[in-house]
Amino acid sequence: MELDEFRIGVDAWIAENNELLRPAHQGVGTLDQQMVHLSAVKRLAYDAGWMRWGWPIEVGGLGGSNLLRAYLGEALTGHDIVEPGIYSMTEVLAPTMIDYATPKLAATMVPRLLRGDETWCQGFSEPGTGSNLAALQCRATRTDDGWRVSGQKVWTSLAQYAQRCVLLTRTGPADSAHRGITALFVDMDTPGIAVRPIETMHGAPEFSEVFFDDVAVPLDRTLGDEGQGWAVAMDLLPYERSTALWHRAAYLHRRLQQLIETAPPGSLDPIRLGEATQILYAFRARSRATQHRLATGERLGAETSIDKVLVATAEQAVFELVEEGLAADITLGDDPAAARWRSEYLYSRAATIYGGSAEIQRNIIARRLLELGNDR
Amino acid sequence: MDAPDRELFERSLRHATEHHSGAALDEALDELGWRDALVEDRRVAVSLLFELIGAANASAGALEHVLVYALGLQGSSATAVVLPASGEWIPPGVVDGERLLVNGIGLSSLERSEHAVVVARDGDRDMAVIVPTAELRLTPVAGLDPWLGLVQVTADGVTLTSAPTPLDGWADVVAVGRVAIGHELVGASRALLSLACTHARERIQFERPIATFQAVRHRLADTLVAIETADAALAAAWEDPSPQTAAMAKALAGRGSRVAARHCQQVLAGIGFTTEHPLHRYVRRALVLDELFGSARTLTRELGDDLLANRRLPPPLPL
Repeated sequence: MELDEFRIGVDAWIAENNELLRPAHQGVGTLDQQMVHLSAVKRLAYDAGWMRWGWPIEVGGLGGSNLLRAYLGEALTGHDIVEPGIYSMTEVLAPTMIDYATPKLAATMVPRLLRGDETWCQGFSEPGTGSNLAALQCRATRTDDGWRVSGQKVWTSLAQYAQRCVLLTRTGPADSAHRGITALFVDMDTPGIAVRPIETMHGAPEFSEVFFDDVAVPLDRTLGDEGQGWAVAMDLLPYERSTALWHRAAYLHRRLQQLIETAPPGSLDPIRLGEATQILYAFRARSRATQHRLATGERLGAETSIDKVLVATAEQAVFELVEEGLAADITLGDDPAAARWRSEYLYSRAATIYGGSAEIQRNIIARRLLELGNDR
Repeated sequence: MDAPDRELFERSLRHATEHHSGAALDEALDELGWRDALVEDRRVAVSLLFELIGAANASAGALEHVLVYALGLQGSSATAVVLPASGEWIPPGVVDGERLLVNGIGLSSLERSEHAVVVARDGDRDMAVIVPTAELRLTPVAGLDPWLGLVQVTADGVTLTSAPTPLDGWADVVAVGRVAIGHELVGASRALLSLACTHARERIQFERPIATFQAVRHRLADTLVAIETADAALAAAWEDPSPQTAAMAKALAGRGSRVAARHCQQVLAGIGFTTEHPLHRYVRRALVLDELFGSARTLTRELGDDLLANRRLPPPLPL
């Protein structure tokens, strides 16, 4: 399947199934509503075949380039069918399973994620381990037939909906840093796991605290080898900073377009509007080039931190304009459209925090791309 | 151009720009066949050369060839083009009956050309007029960056001897100029960043290289982000050569060079403020180049005004 053929097919499919694909809720909806809708859309896209293109045949895909996945996500977010953040989790977690799970496990599990049967989460951050990921302390201890996990995660997106978790655990000594980390694939219904959603300022409890109290995990749920968890995490991050960002770009383009259509006369400063437009354009150009590098089999690395800085910069530039241009909606509006602008504006404040903060990205750029050495 | 050819070509260009400037560089470029490359593969010829010129802080007349070609006047007697006045992109000439009025600027190579193209407004049309350079008044400009060797070009009334050629698409010619200068700005910005990174690794304070301080590292990281932002937009401008894309790319390159100048000057601190260090040459160059064909600020303002008038974002490149 070539990209052009795929593009025409997806566009036609979206046009034909527009009513089916539209969310039933008005405005931003609740997170519960978004998740139900997301599952329905993934199921429809999977059954129509579109969701399977770009994934290997061994995990229920139909093969073909990653560009096909990139386009499907672009179309679904660009047409306001799905929210990019929750949709693109697949792009982060499925490649990790394909690369590190046993082939049998990947073949069983990945189709469930693609089809929308399941939600997965990513257990990385801990209360004492935000930017300093390698200091994580959630402990996994070897038993005869697997692992026992005890500890706590936080900022775990969608954990309250998730059936599975890609979990980073400490298996080496407490001070073994990045060497003593092991990645596990954990069933969220295992006894001993408690999830507490966190209320956030943008109004959706997207993140949770997750508590593990002597949780049993079978040995064949180890992703990669014991002690290889840091590599799993590092290989996952470029995915988080590539296809998912391309999807987000389509969403930002749609929202900026809607802003300039609806902002009252005189409410937008032309220079700031011009700047936001330029940054978004350049970000899309960069993200597009990243997609094409991925398609030629290039291994992505530290340079994707530039993509990440750019998406956050573009998102905040766009939503700072929104806050100015639609000030009445943001500050006082209570209708669904206003509530949606407000929620998205507030969420944009987190763009420089989640997924590796702006400071961490700059540290990576300094050390890896500018070769400035370690920072101490 | 295939990869090995391109690499060889880049190496020759790098050697030329690092060792020559002005007339000598123009000669070196002629010898190594840059003008043939311009015809054969304009993207490679322009993007490679202008980034290298920017990185080497060299001056050259290459932009004239790029513009002559964009005007479709290759093969004419003209080997130079009068550029719009600094900060402007309206044509530098005005046709007034039988006479031509000129207010623009020229590159250092203009003086060495016998004939130059002046694009001129004639009512609501644009005309390409070829005039003997001797008929133009050329006043050397020192200004902020005397090493660039710009000249002020004026003429109060050149008598038209031949019929001017009507020109459609001045906006496209401007776009080509903007992309070329955008690459030169990116080259200058990369050189600034490289100077600052070298200094940060070598300069010891509090018994450690200043590159270990996060305040320094983040300035340099932000500089690289600004450069790569411009670079991505320039690459897009080659794939979608619309005037609007070129204007965005030039604005990002201009703003990026100002970011680079600000952060790198701060990191280079005292030594960067002296003429013993090359930093000042790049800082000067960036500010002067940013004004050519419209500065980052004016292009951004124009884009914003345009968006507010038309309420339509520029179409992004399809995947």
